[in-house]
Amino acid sequence: MADRATLERECAAFARYLGAGAGDAYVTEQYVAAHEAGVVELPGTTGFERSVVALARALPWSLRALDAHARVFGNGSLLRRKLVLLLAILETRAPHDEALDTPTAGSNLGMFVRMAWLGAVFATLVVVTALLLLPVRVVSLAGGAR
Amino acid sequence: MKRVLIVGSGASGVHFAQTALEHGAQVTMLDVGRVAPAPVLPDASFARFKREHADPAGYFLGSKFESVLFPGAKGEYYGFPPHKGFIFAPLERFRMRASGFDPLTSFARGGLAEAWTGGSFPFNAQELADFTLGPEGLLANYGRVAARIGISGADDDLSRFTPVHEHLAPGLPLDPHSAQLFERYGREREHLNTRLGAWMGRTRAAVRADDREGRNGCTNLGRCLWSCPREALYTPSLTLRALLKHERFTYLSGRHVARFEADESNRVRRVRAVELATGREEVHEVESLVLAAGTLASAKLFLDSLRAHGGRAPALAGLMDNRQVLVPFVNLAMLRRRYQSDSYQYHQLAMGFERPDPRHYVHGLVTTLKTALIHPIVQSVPFDLKSALWIFRNAHAALGIVNVNFHDDRRPGNRVELEADGDSTRLVVQYAPSNDEPERMKAALATVKKALSKLGCVVPPGMAHVRPMGASVHYAGTLPMSATRAPLTTSPAGESHDIAGLYFADGTTFPFLPAKNLTFTLMANADRIAQAWARA
Repeated sequence: MADRATLERECAAFARYLGAGAGDAYVTEQYVAAHEAGVVELPGTTGFERSVVALARALPWSLRALDAHARVFGNGSLLRRKLVLLLAILETRAPHDEALDTPTAGSNLGMFVRMAWLGAVFATLVVVTALLLLPVRVVSLAGGAR
Repeated sequence: MKRVLIVGSGASGVHFAQTALEHGAQVTMLDVGRVAPAPVLPDASFARFKREHADPAGYFLGSKFESVLFPGAKGEYYGFPPHKGFIFAPLERFRMRASGFDPLTSFARGGLAEAWTGGSFPFNAQELADFTLGPEGLLANYGRVAARIGISGADDDLSRFTPVHEHLAPGLPLDPHSAQLFERYGREREHLNTRLGAWMGRTRAAVRADDREGRNGCTNLGRCLWSCPREALYTPSLTLRALLKHERFTYLSGRHVARFEADESNRVRRVRAVELATGREEVHEVESLVLAAGTLASAKLFLDSLRAHGGRAPALAGLMDNRQVLVPFVNLAMLRRRYQSDSYQYHQLAMGFERPDPRHYVHGLVTTLKTALIHPIVQSVPFDLKSALWIFRNAHAALGIVNVNFHDDRRPGNRVELEADGDSTRLVVQYAPSNDEPERMKAALATVKKALSKLGCVVPPGMAHVRPMGASVHYAGTLPMSATRAPLTTSPAGESHDIAGLYFADGTTFPFLPAKNLTFTLMANADRIAQAWARA
């Protein structure tokens, strides 16, 4: 498990990605507590999964791409577990719940167009990250990191 | 004065007790009786709760985050929150294993119905045909229970399937999504009725809009799933609380009843219970004994008693449960709207689907998505989480689910029996669905999807979820009532044909299980059995 300072940085970066600003002290406390309770990082977590999380921490702008990759190739992986945990914490806490769950302005047609765009971006990100992360996966496997 | 000892404080037990007390009896109730946590911020809405509670994550997700639904984890959306953990917490002394069945038991005050979503749909004459009740059926009992607990609904299109009883209060105000669906149904009614055999109406629920006789009315806090903090949604523990004030009622909690004993003439004489805090055994002399511990717990108690009495306990055949299929839908007319958080959270509409055999009627509870934990749904959208969130927030008010219920019959292979477990015993539950179930489900679900489509809704492909048997917790049928005296059956009045003075007031005696939540019928049937017992 990462140290507290690292988890705090990670929490802030992930909260920004989810659209909830940097979270707040309570959210951070809960995020750290869940890690300390041992419900996030399971015994079978691989070195590759940890590398992806480290990459997401170091390069927060890459989070969406790494998340897309994980959604397809490792839905139960460490990054997805951390993101879903944070989403669960944020949705219980005002005002983040409102930020996460309020419809945006626009028409239904605009919504469908946007969904098509999101789908196209998602597919592209999955393909690109699959290629870019291949070396990381190979190194992790070669290192036998567990 | 007649005296009776009741085992269990669930829906059946408390209503048997209330009727028995109304008839002048002396009532003792033995129960494990785990207690619900006290309501927190009882007047706060779902939104206000999140603003004002000091530890909302602890409340909604649990102190060990046990209610976070992680990707790939087992578990159903709308699983039970930490606040309701007391209902299903196991008891070490009650051992069970199951095949083809995911059984749930409860040792809480109020029993399994503490997790009831309030659906109160009376069985009709065809569905009660095997119940050996006589022409009066249960209608009067439904009315009596409705007067006690408060049932809301309407005499509408669904009345063709669910009889209207006395004391039916007006339905709660519909949330905007339910109102839109109901309005659309009004426009498409002829097609739905005549072409699809699909009918829609207001749900019947154990909740009222108005304050009445010390009970609060529903004020739309949107917190039903976490146990209504105003106690507007009925649970049996409310009746138990009222019974505790009665001078002829004795409640002994913290007891696990191990077995009963009968004399040489096979009349029940005493009950042996264990005080859980001390492990001390107690003996209670009884005139009449009522098992109302729930079908599985009552079966184990009955079998353990026979085993202690005669050495070998038989298998009890005919276990039933309703198969449920969850069909999610998106109502295109509700996209991009703000969902209404201040609303009754559970189903406000219901659908009935005719089948060629009226006993095979299919019942659907229509729940529109309002207040809820959203992370289980958002993560299921096949995008990255940021995109999934954007899609969800624009679709939240348009989402809903139909909980489609199917009937069940008693079949010999579905049974419960005992096996030795050290110096104790374990209940073994075996269940297999009927051979025609896949075909029946396929045909019914096709109709459900067509009906939803006519209502302007889209069912995402591949998203229907077949719940495991046992999940609906509508267990029944192991010692059915029978007009003919036969072993391992009961009389129409619920008295065992094997042991005199022993009554079953829970689902044990149901000879058939229609596609409807059975809780309201459990209460009505317990009231009927108690009246028969009191008059005998």
